[in-house]
Formats: sequence, structure tokens, C-alpha cells
Amino acid sequence: MRTNARIFYGVTAFFLVSSIVYWFTSKDPTGTTALAFAVGLGFLIAYYLQFTARRLPDQLEDLPNADVEEGAGEIGFFSPHSQWPFFMGLGAAVMMLGFPFGWWLLVIGAGILGGATLGLVFEYYVSAASETSTREDFSS
Amino acid sequence: MTQVLEPRLVTAGRRVRVAPGSRIWRWITTTDHKVIGYMYLIASFGFFLAAGLMAMIMRTELARPGLQVVSDEQYNQLFTMHGTIMLLLFATPLFAGFTNVIMPLQIGAPDVAFPRLNALSFWLFLFGGLVVLGGFLTPGGAADFGWFAYTPLSDAIHASGAGADMWIVGLILTGFGTILGAVNFITTVFTLRAPGMTMFRMPIFTWNVFITSLLVLLAFPVLAAALFALLADRKFGAHIYDPANGGPILWQHLFWFFGHPEVYIVALPFFGIITEVLPVFSRKPVFGYKGLVFATIAIGALSMAVWAHHMFATGAVLLPFFSFMSFLIAVPTGVKFFNWIGTMWRGQLTFEAPMLFAIGFLLTFLLGGLTGVMLASPPIDFHVSDSYFVVAHFHYVLFGTVVFSMFSGFYFWWPKMTGRLLDDTLGKIHFWTLFIGFHMTFLVQHWLGVEGMPRRVADYPASAGFTTLNEISTVGAYLLGASTFVFLYNVWRTARRGAIVVGDDPWGYGNSLEWATSCPPPRHNFVALPRIRSERPAFDLHYPHIVRALDRNPQQEIDQQEIVR
Amino acid sequence: MRRTPGRPTLPDGSSSARPSVRRRALRLVALAPLALVLTACNTESIRFGFPKPITEQGHRVLNLWVGFFWVALAVGALVYGLILWACFRFRKRGDELPRQVHYNVPIELLYTILPLVTVAVLFYFTARDEIVIDKLSRNPDVKIGVVGFQWNWQFNYIDDKLQVTGRPGQPPTLVLPANKKIQFVETSPDVIHSFWVPSFLFKRDVVPGRQNKFEVRTEKTGTFEGRCAEFCGLYHSRMLFKLKVVSDAEYQQFLTTAKAAAAAGTSDMYTTTSAGASAISGSSQ
Repeated sequence: MRTNARIFYGVTAFFLVSSIVYWFTSKDPTGTTALAFAVGLGFLIAYYLQFTARRLPDQLEDLPNADVEEGAGEIGFFSPHSQWPFFMGLGAAVMMLGFPFGWWLLVIGAGILGGATLGLVFEYYVSAASETSTREDFSS
Repeated sequence: MTQVLEPRLVTAGRRVRVAPGSRIWRWITTTDHKVIGYMYLIASFGFFLAAGLMAMIMRTELARPGLQVVSDEQYNQLFTMHGTIMLLLFATPLFAGFTNVIMPLQIGAPDVAFPRLNALSFWLFLFGGLVVLGGFLTPGGAADFGWFAYTPLSDAIHASGAGADMWIVGLILTGFGTILGAVNFITTVFTLRAPGMTMFRMPIFTWNVFITSLLVLLAFPVLAAALFALLADRKFGAHIYDPANGGPILWQHLFWFFGHPEVYIVALPFFGIITEVLPVFSRKPVFGYKGLVFATIAIGALSMAVWAHHMFATGAVLLPFFSFMSFLIAVPTGVKFFNWIGTMWRGQLTFEAPMLFAIGFLLTFLLGGLTGVMLASPPIDFHVSDSYFVVAHFHYVLFGTVVFSMFSGFYFWWPKMTGRLLDDTLGKIHFWTLFIGFHMTFLVQHWLGVEGMPRRVADYPASAGFTTLNEISTVGAYLLGASTFVFLYNVWRTARRGAIVVGDDPWGYGNSLEWATSCPPPRHNFVALPRIRSERPAFDLHYPHIVRALDRNPQQEIDQQEIVR
Repeated sequence: MRRTPGRPTLPDGSSSARPSVRRRALRLVALAPLALVLTACNTESIRFGFPKPITEQGHRVLNLWVGFFWVALAVGALVYGLILWACFRFRKRGDELPRQVHYNVPIELLYTILPLVTVAVLFYFTARDEIVIDKLSRNPDVKIGVVGFQWNWQFNYIDDKLQVTGRPGQPPTLVLPANKKIQFVETSPDVIHSFWVPSFLFKRDVVPGRQNKFEVRTEKTGTFEGRCAEFCGLYHSRMLFKLKVVSDAEYQQFLTTAKAAAAAGTSDMYTTTSAGASAISGSSQ
């Protein structure tokens, strides 16, 4: 994680230098703005990674002598399948088609996108009250 | 003495019966990075065929002076859509496809970090791409202002019509898909590597797609913003790109700030594929691993600082800065080239289809790189910019990189993805027809360009003297197009009676972790992970005696120095 | 003492300086290609596809191009040679695994530094020529206003208040005097175009809302092609013009004739500047 933070600090430094050099040599506001925002992007990610790295112990993937057995156990939750991404994509597409063809499409598309987003977010939602009961499958 | 492991092949048929409806629903609801990757590969290949057909029509039109096949307007739509599709609906999603299929396997992960976001990225790409292509179905036709969409040519006055709007919104959709995909890939590389898989043990393909994803994060939001601004001008009467406000140059800066990293986005992953293929068929490790990593980082960084070399002829940009940066970027690219040659050097080379395509890439991309160095010089660029010299240059670099490496990757990873091997003889025929066809088409275009033939012209005067070279180019294009059928036939035949692979690694010398699991892999990729102590864990697993013989200390990085004489 | 046949040895041991006829012939054969190249360098007959330059600046561009091309040929030959040699020499022989070499720092440093030096040299020559080509003089001999519009050209002889406008199907001819400094000022009322005379070995975009300037010094007389080189819409491929470089006397004659036609209002193509504005807006389709 620390290596990763360093990579992004490198990105930050590179764009800092290039945006300064570019501004003073060209006085072009467009390119300078784009390069300056890249500094922000790099710093945002770098600082977050550094912050996280400080909180966490050394990760197994960063230890050259780590054994696979040491990483045994649950890695995380990976959704087995889900219909919501398809409908989110569909909703977004219908929304964007509103620009050429009419604002009514924008409204309908927003509805589809909103509904599908809710579906996605709450797909694996288990309320506190029902957490004690057993659930057999996670499909919505 | 090392025993070469020859793959054992069983040619029995295996079929699983699934009702068509439930198969389609499975695809619609999949969150498996491998299946999503296959969908990306199939969809982008479909777009490739569509844009290739457009190219065939254009080349047919250009063979002789005079308009024989299409009108001026139709031709303009063809080259606009050909460029848009090839770069944004073929090459970029192809990167997402290969990354999806291969990268989690290479780092020993069970899937990507955000499987549903991954699926969303695919559907945004597919729907956005269909919207872009849908422009052809409108009365005014598809977008016809070139894939750069320079303003004011792309504004409401000069490009009225729904086709142009569909182009813009379709690309916004696919752009978001690409950005979300990049977020996913970076997070996966950061958080889901297997124990012992340090950053500097990751395969070069994974490094390359990681840096590509970083470029996507830097470049695609700028495109999305520029497209929204264009939409605002067209739909809401904004004056963002008004010539009175320096709008045309503003658009060019924004577009190329995206556009130049974009061509490296579509190049770096495919450099990565070559870096995976060459060592396996040379039976040696990649030469200069760390050098390759730093070269890729340098290319990524520099690619963000060269954008205005596309604008030299506008007279509006700081020439020395961009010229210098553009010359500089040739250096890490050259380093990679020599590393690839170093991988082959003193190896034991065999020339199965993946290797042929990898070498084809080397021979093709080199010429494109050399003409690129020429284009970095503004005085030379002033003459050849916007001519067929540039068309030749970018086809050499893009086709050489994307298409040759794509086929190399297909032949290489087909057994891993499907459990069957593509026929190698057909692969060789495919390679030679493609290679000869490509060079016949594009080599002469360098000449056409320097002689004075501009690009994006539906026609040229008979007196210009461009006819013969155009005829040669068209014949080459037909050969190139025909080579595709060899590949399609190979795929179809293999699906029915291709040789089935038993074991993890039919090629015998795979280095990275995907060759340490079955062909195809199980749902979450690994039943058991091998120990990872170097950048070649699968090789270490399959050739432990080599590892022992080299007396490698598992506590340290590989540092047996062997001087090449 | 070695005796060379055909070479008489003098008493002090040296041989006379007169080689045999055969050896002389061989030497000439060996030198011929080099001589050819050298003479070619002087007469610009090796241009690697570039047109013959007709301006003073064009010669610089051509020399730069030829230099770059030789470098590219050399690098290309080297790298192609390495790849193809490796394919041939290191084909699989036997089953033994080759030496598993991972890296070699000296070689890697070498092939990082050599390309760096090469591009530094290329950049130096580029920067040097770039400064000359973009130079504008204070008092050019002729000032030409270039208006590129969808889909034709208008040329304004600024000091003579003469306008030459192309009509659909009738590309305009820009007449210029030889051996003079010509400064071009470009703009567009609609979309981006590009003014390209391949024989100039130069083009410059014509951008709406912007005035681009460049300057050339004409040399040879002749008639040359001109094309639009920035995609500008439907008839981009038909947005052509001609450039005619003539002697001073012919140029003055042209000006007189054209201005007379413009004043009389008898010509489609020639107008005086005051009438120009309406000529443009009426001729954009």
C-alpha cells in the first residue's frame, strides 16, 4: 500500500512540475488547467492510500516472503450475479438519448436509472432487525 | 537436463446443453470478470468488423479518381465513424476486455474489486457504442465531422442533425464506462493481489494495464467535459466554443489533452501482451523487467505532456515544449523495443501463431515509431501534417500495436479462455495474409502524403498523380480484409472440433499465474495458488529444478547477474 | 620484403605510387555510389518523396527531412536486422532451456543513453530550423490576405486592394512575384481550413476567430498546386487552388489587368476590396 501511495505521489510531483513549467513557458490557460487538475487527482489518491496504509498492517501481497496459507480465509464479498448493472446502463443510455430526441426521454431514463441504482445499492441489504434470521439466497 | 513439456491434447468433444433464454439471462446478469471480459472482446471485435467494412468501402472509393461508390457526404460519415469506432469502440474496450480476462488471474485474485461496477462498465460501453453507431439510422446520417470533431465544424450550424448528437452522447456513455472500469482495475491491483505478489513481481501486462488505467482517469474526464460543453453549445446556445472566444483552439486543446493519452491507452496494454508472449516462445524470462516498468511509467507520464503536437500547424501552441517532449517519449519506447529483442536474444524460439503476430507487431510498430519521431519536428510536420503521411504513421502504430497484439493475445490465451487451441496452421496463414495485406495498404501511403495528398478526402484530381499508389493501397486493403475470414473460420472450426487442452499450460513455458490454473479457470480463478517468489510464479511452479539450479534465495529478488556476451 | 605484383620497388624499399589500371578501375567503382550521393546532396535530387522546394524556407525543411530520413533508415536497418537475425539465429535447437538471463544493466543503460543523445541532436536541428521558418519580417514585399471558407479560397492583395475569389468548380489562382518576401495573413469566417502548397513544404491552418501569419521567400517561377489540408466539411476535397509564381514584370502586368477587370466589374473572380465583403457572404455555398 505504501508503494502504491508513492506511485501516486510521483504522479502528483510530475504534474506539479509540468504544470508550472508549462504555464511559464506557454501562458496557455487550457493546458495549464488540465495539468493542474491532474495534480489534484494524483494527490487525492496518494494521500488516501498513505492514510489507509498507516491504519492497516502490512498487507500480505506487499511482503515478499508471504505464504498463500497466511492469506487463507474470506477475502471479501463478490456478488455472484446481478441484473442491476444492465438496467442502470440501459437507464443511462435512455437518459442521454434525451439530448438529441426529446426531454421526455431524459425523464424516463432518469427513472430507470434511479430505480436500477436503488436496486443495485439495496441488492444485498440486510436490515439490522432481520440480521439474526437466516437467509438462503442473495438474489433480488 | 530440462525436459520440454509437450502439451497433451485430447480431441474428444464436450458440450453442455443450456436453454438459450437462460444463457442470455446469464450474460445479462453476470458479474464474473472472465465472462464480462469475453463479452468485451466479442463486442469490440464486432465493432472492429463494422469499422473494417467502412474502411473497405473507403479504399474502394479511393482506388480511382472520381466518385464511384459513395457520395462526398457518405464518405465523410465513413471516415468519421471508422476512426471513432476503431479508437473508442474497438481498441479501448479491447483493452478493458483483455484486462478483465487476464489481469485478475495474473495477480492471483478471485475477481475484480467491484464485480457489479465491472458489469455496469460493460453495459455502458455496449449501449453507448450502439448509440454512436445508431447515427447511421437517422435521416441526416451519422456524424460526419471527423473523429476529432473540431469546432466549429461540429457545432449546431455546421453539423445539424441527430447523428452528431448521438455521436456525442454515445461517447459520453462509453467514456463513463471506461472511467469506471479503470477505477475497478486500479483498485483490484492495489487490494486483491495474492500473498507474495508484490508490485515488482506483477507481470508486465498487469503493470501496463495499471498504468493505462491511470491514464484513463486522467484523460477521459477531460473528454467527457469537452463533450458536455459541446452539447451545451449545440443544445442550450452556450458560446463555449465560439470562435470569438478562441473556441476552436480551446476544443483542440481539450480534445488532444484526452486524445494523446488515448492513443497510449490503446497502445500500452498491447505492449503488455507482447511482453507476455515473447518470453514464453523464447523460453527465457522477460529481459530487463525493471527497465520495462520504468519505461512504461515514463511513457505514461510523458504522454500527458505532448498533446499539442497534434496542433503544430495551428500556429497557436508552444512548439519547442511539445516538440521536445515528443522527441523524449521516443526514448522509453526505444528502451522497450530493445528489451523485447533482448528477451528473444539467445533464446530457443519457436514460431507458433502467437509468436508470429508478436514479431509482426515488432516489425510494424518500429516503422510507425520512426515516422513518429519525424512528426515530432514541427518544420517537417508543417508539410506532412493532415496528409496521408500521418494516416500511414498512425495506422502503423495503431494497427501494428492493437491488431497484431490482439491476434497474438487471442491465439495465446484462447486455450486459457475456452479450453481449446486455435488451429496453428490457419493461424500462420492468417498472419501472413494480414502482414502482407497491411504493408501493401499502408506503406505506399507515406509516399502519397509527402507528395501532397491530404487526408479525409473523398476524391482527388486525376492530374495529381496519386492514382497508382492508391490502386496498390486498395489491393492491399482487400487482402487485409480477406485475412479476417481466415481467423473467423479458425474460430468457428475450433468451437466445434478444436483440440482440447488438458492441464494448465499448453504452451509449456508460461510465466505468470494464469498458467497455474485450469483451462478454463474455475469461477473464482484458483483452486490452489502456488507460492509466489518471483515475477514468474507459474514457471517456478512447473520448473522447480531450474529454480533450484539457479540457487535462488527466496528471501531476495532475482538478481543472478548473467552478462550477455 | 613483400613484392606487390605490378608495383616496382625502388632501391630504398618504397614502392612507386602508380597503381595498376585494374586497381584504379576498382577504386572508381567503389567511389561511384558515394560520389553519386554527394552530388545528389548538392542538387537535392534525393528528396525521399518530398516535392522540390520553391521557397527559401523550403530548402531548410527539405534538408531537415533528408537528415531525419537517413537517421530513420539507419535505426530501422539496425533494429530490423537485430530482430530478423534473432529469429534466424536463435531458432529452437534441441530441448535444452536457454540461459535464463533477467537483465544486463550496462547494455540497458547503453540503449537508453544512445537514443537520448540521438533525439537531443534531432531536437537541436529542429529548433534551429523552426526559428528560421516561423520568422516574420517587418517589411515584406507582398502582403496576401488568405480567407478560407466553405469550400473555396479568397486571396487579398492587401496593398493593391485586389481580391481574387474562387467559385464552385473554378479554383482561384494566386499570382506571386519570384524572389520576393511574401507574408500571408489567414483567417476564416466559418470553420478551420488549412492553406497548403505542397511545393512550399509548408502549411498553416486557417482558424476562425484567429489571424495566422507566415512568410516565405519565393524563388522559382512556375505553376503549383494548392489544397485545403484541414477537414472542413462536405467539399473539403474540392477546395483547391493554384499558385503561379511569375517574374516581376509579369506580376505587375497581372495586377494591372486584374485591377482593371475588378474596377469595371466584368469579372467573377476579381473584385476590389471594398466590394469584397459581399462577395464572400454571397459565395459560401
